[in-house]
Amino acid sequence: LRRCLAFVDMRHLEESFQGIKRAIQAKDTFPNITILSTAETLRSIKPVDVCCVTKSLLEFYMDRVFKDHQELKPQALRTISSVANSFLYMQKALQQCQVQRRCPCSEEATNATRMVYDNYDQLEVPSAATKSLGELDVFLAWIAKNHQKTSPA
Amino acid sequence: MKNVLRWDPPDSLQGAAVTYTVQYFIYGQKRWLNKPDCKNISRTYCDLSDETSDYEHQYYAKVKAIWKTNCSRWTETGRFYPFLETQIGPPEVALTTDAKSISIVLTAPDKWKRNAEDCTISMQQIYSNLKYNVSVYNVKSKRMWSQCVTNHTLVLSWLEPNTLYCVQAESFVPGLPRRAEPSQKHCISTLEDPTSALK
Amino acid sequence: DGVAALPAPQNLSVHSINMKHLLIWSPVVLPEEKVYYSVEYQGEYESLYTSDIWIPSKWCSRTEGPECDVTDDITATVPYSLRVRAILGSQTSAWSILEQPFNRNSTILTPPGMEISKDGFHLVIELEDLGPQFQFLVAYWRREPDTKEHAKVVRRGGIPVHLETMEPGALYCVKAQALVKAIGRNSAFSQTKCVEVQGEALPL
Repeated sequence: LRRCLAFVDMRHLEESFQGIKRAIQAKDTFPNITILSTAETLRSIKPVDVCCVTKSLLEFYMDRVFKDHQELKPQALRTISSVANSFLYMQKALQQCQVQRRCPCSEEATNATRMVYDNYDQLEVPSAATKSLGELDVFLAWIAKNHQKTSPA
Repeated sequence: MKNVLRWDPPDSLQGAAVTYTVQYFIYGQKRWLNKPDCKNISRTYCDLSDETSDYEHQYYAKVKAIWKTNCSRWTETGRFYPFLETQIGPPEVALTTDAKSISIVLTAPDKWKRNAEDCTISMQQIYSNLKYNVSVYNVKSKRMWSQCVTNHTLVLSWLEPNTLYCVQAESFVPGLPRRAEPSQKHCISTLEDPTSALK
Repeated sequence: DGVAALPAPQNLSVHSINMKHLLIWSPVVLPEEKVYYSVEYQGEYESLYTSDIWIPSKWCSRTEGPECDVTDDITATVPYSLRVRAILGSQTSAWSILEQPFNRNSTILTPPGMEISKDGFHLVIELEDLGPQFQFLVAYWRREPDTKEHAKVVRRGGIPVHLETMEPGALYCVKAQALVKAIGRNSAFSQTKCVEVQGEALPL
């Protein structure tokens, strides 16, 4: 995965999300539930599964979260659009990358992704979408960490 | 990763004998947890470094004021994510010099630890792509230049003898939007050039 | 009925240089009337997943036009649709949509401005500050037969950066190109600039 996402400007993504993070997370009224289950799910992903989990979580955010989230504030709308279109770009980059190399999905990777969808389905759609948006910083940090070796000096 | 909760006293009770109690919450867990040595305290800060030492988790904290028999409502923080939000301190800077060069040795800051005898974790271990921006200022020519460095040593050669140079360094992690905190300025003078004494 | 009376802006196009994207159009000219414009955009994600959603431009939800800096709207390397309409009092025209969606990877990248200087034997470069998206590839070499060219990536412009420790009596030459990681492209190289270091050359 390291080279696949080399052209993604993670810094801009994280900076724009920081701008709406407080507002989005403040709307999350279920702090006892997580969607991405920080420690248990993402941290335990093995390097070989990183490509598959990244692809799956990009789909999760694009197919479910960004569509389910109803946003009225223009600044938040712009930021979410920026993230959504960047994820679309990452998905394309991963697909092109897959042509040259495998993106295997082990049982563990599939289970990890299913847990995310299960967590999501535990909540009402608006709450689940808001909570998932509020956890974008976790996902972005995980992506940056898994392809950080490619950033220049 | 030294994470300290701070707050201001209630406006209406400035100077009164107010005490405070703090609790914290690990995002995704079930209950608010007490912080025993921040119960009924009069200071307006509470060190939660120990409770938030797993930097890949996220946390909330809240505090309430107690005055006589009255109790305020809780005031809660936003969600705190140490891995992304902690500030990375400057590296340690050690300089040695001879007539025409200065050797700079940089040491990454250490992660907070509860006891001095606990094992030390370098921030380099947490952020493996940690880099340094080194600024060098020639006091005589009043020229400054900077250099981005990945490893821990840097030798500035072919310097002017008998000249004062000042060095400052900051740590940064590419890709993470974070304010960098520069080190103090370390100044050192290159030595006399022994060969020029012979001429 | 009044809506169609106000003509829509025409001839939309995007001029993009060094990742600064300017949407321009032909103004709607009405005698003694002050016409404003509103700009909206839709990234490829919106057009695929939520096609009814158009997003108000950050800087031009109501602008005097006839141009709009959409740099802060176009923040991903995917095709973006842009549309403009005229506003006169309570009247609004129909939307005019940019004929071809715009992708920022088509931006024109110009060679960066570059100043080189020396502090004693130290070669220092300061590159034009083109914004946070830009890094620079700097090539430098010692001007002598079959010399080897060195390269260094400089993370940002606007600050003096140490390039090389030079040897006395040599001539050093430098050229630079701008790199934009987000679109995977780079500019042409700048002109070469050279600087000489006084002092006798070192005995071989």
